[in-house]
Amino acid sequence: MTIVTASDQAPPKEANGQGSAHSPAHAPKPSGQKFWNRLSAVARYYPVFLIFLVWEILSRLDVLDPMFMPPLEDVARTFYQQVFVTHELLGHIGVSFMRAGAGLGLAAIVGIAAGILMGRVRAIESFLDPLISALFPTPKLALFPLMMIFLGIGDASKIALIFLGCFFPIVINTYTGVKNVDKFFVWNALTKGASQRQLIWHVIIPASLPFVFAGLRVATSTAFLLIVASELIAANDGLGYLIMFAERSFDPALMWCGILVIAGMGFTVDRLLLALGARLFVWQDK
Amino acid sequence: MNGAPGAVHVEIRRITQRFRSGRGADLLALDRVDLQARRGEFVSIVGPSGCGKSTLLYIVAGLLRASDGQVLVDGKPIDGPDPDRGLVLQNSSIFPWRTVEENVAFGPQMSGVPQTERRSRVAHYLDMVGLTKFAGFYPRELSGGMKQRIAIAQMLACGPSVFLMDEPFGALDSLSREVLQDQLLHLWERDRKTVLFVTHSIDEAVLLSDRIVVMSPLPGRVKEVVEVDLPRPRQETRALPQFGQLRNHIWSAIRKETMEAIG
Repeated sequence: MTIVTASDQAPPKEANGQGSAHSPAHAPKPSGQKFWNRLSAVARYYPVFLIFLVWEILSRLDVLDPMFMPPLEDVARTFYQQVFVTHELLGHIGVSFMRAGAGLGLAAIVGIAAGILMGRVRAIESFLDPLISALFPTPKLALFPLMMIFLGIGDASKIALIFLGCFFPIVINTYTGVKNVDKFFVWNALTKGASQRQLIWHVIIPASLPFVFAGLRVATSTAFLLIVASELIAANDGLGYLIMFAERSFDPALMWCGILVIAGMGFTVDRLLLALGARLFVWQDK
Repeated sequence: MNGAPGAVHVEIRRITQRFRSGRGADLLALDRVDLQARRGEFVSIVGPSGCGKSTLLYIVAGLLRASDGQVLVDGKPIDGPDPDRGLVLQNSSIFPWRTVEENVAFGPQMSGVPQTERRSRVAHYLDMVGLTKFAGFYPRELSGGMKQRIAIAQMLACGPSVFLMDEPFGALDSLSREVLQDQLLHLWERDRKTVLFVTHSIDEAVLLSDRIVVMSPLPGRVKEVVEVDLPRPRQETRALPQFGQLRNHIWSAIRKETMEAIG
């Protein structure tokens, strides 16, 4: 299990403010520098733009078969049509997002609660730990046909699948985080009069939050994986369905449109999580 | 908080602590330790590593349950941790996710002190340890000495009548250490709280204490109790000849065990 800590992806603006013991954590920086930092943050992704450029050039030179890779321009035109004229793409995005969000949200609530309980209550730990160890390596997608039998091919089976896929990384990371809370933090809190409930809220949760966050990040990418997979298998809407539909109706531009949108969504959500993490964990030692 | 100065405040009665070690054999960490601290007395506990001095302190704090024996505070047996017995630990146990002022506010926040009073209390104790300017900083931005001062302010903000200090200056460089020793002396001479101070530094114990409990390891036992009759205030005491004599006396008492402990 990889644990991605939020600190290993600190945005460039944090790097400068380091080691300055005499300026507060959120010292304002000159706005000019901020602009350059923003720009360099975008410029960092130049390889992506480079690949787009090569794609466009190669398809113009007729090197690429337009049935597999239409010119990027066609994809862009389809995207424009889908978003601003027919609005169809927006509907698919909304549906996929709702399913992924519902599954991930449920998994976060149940996973974090279960992780904290496992880390704090011996009986729950010894009950859940073997179950989780046994089920974690099972590819959750293998259970999808079963879920369709129980829950149909609508939203419910997909949300259940995503919930199951996201639950494990979240519960395992939370549990690890809670187990790793320094005993001396707990002791310090207890001698300052904290009750068991206050101990959970004011010490256990903030101390293990970086782990929880790493789990959420892994779960988010799992959610995107499973939403597309389940919609490819059986659905009447959503981005996975759109990609499958486009492929079957020989519309490669639409297919690529779906692929790029789902990739962009995954990327954006991950960046948002990282930015949130950098804000939440300013206190962390880098 | 009542009780005459000089009356017994903290009483440790025949505390025994066994730890189960790996192969099922019991390790006797503390063997029938007796100790009394009078109200307003500064008592240090010194001894080589493995003598159970920190374990003893955690038992008095109510964080560990002794295998046998009792701890009484004002004649009443303790039942778990209590903000009346404040604890300062060696390694910064202050909360890195809270700013300096939020750390100092922790105890009052837990006991539901209203916001305005909490704020004035925090300001008072930050001023006392000289960290007012750093109120909005996170601990990672501060030096080790500053972190220990926050830990002390955090404890003071709970208004304890007993200070339990587990090698609070043990991880500091010698300069910060002397500064903090002086500050603690100053603080103590003003408020005269009861202090149990665990240290492995004999100098520190002699400098600060009214009485020094010397412990020997395996099993942890009280070897000797030394009265320190040096005049107070002690800030200039390091140069006195009695200081060196006391120091040598204690050192010779634990020399053999320390050598053995180091191996």
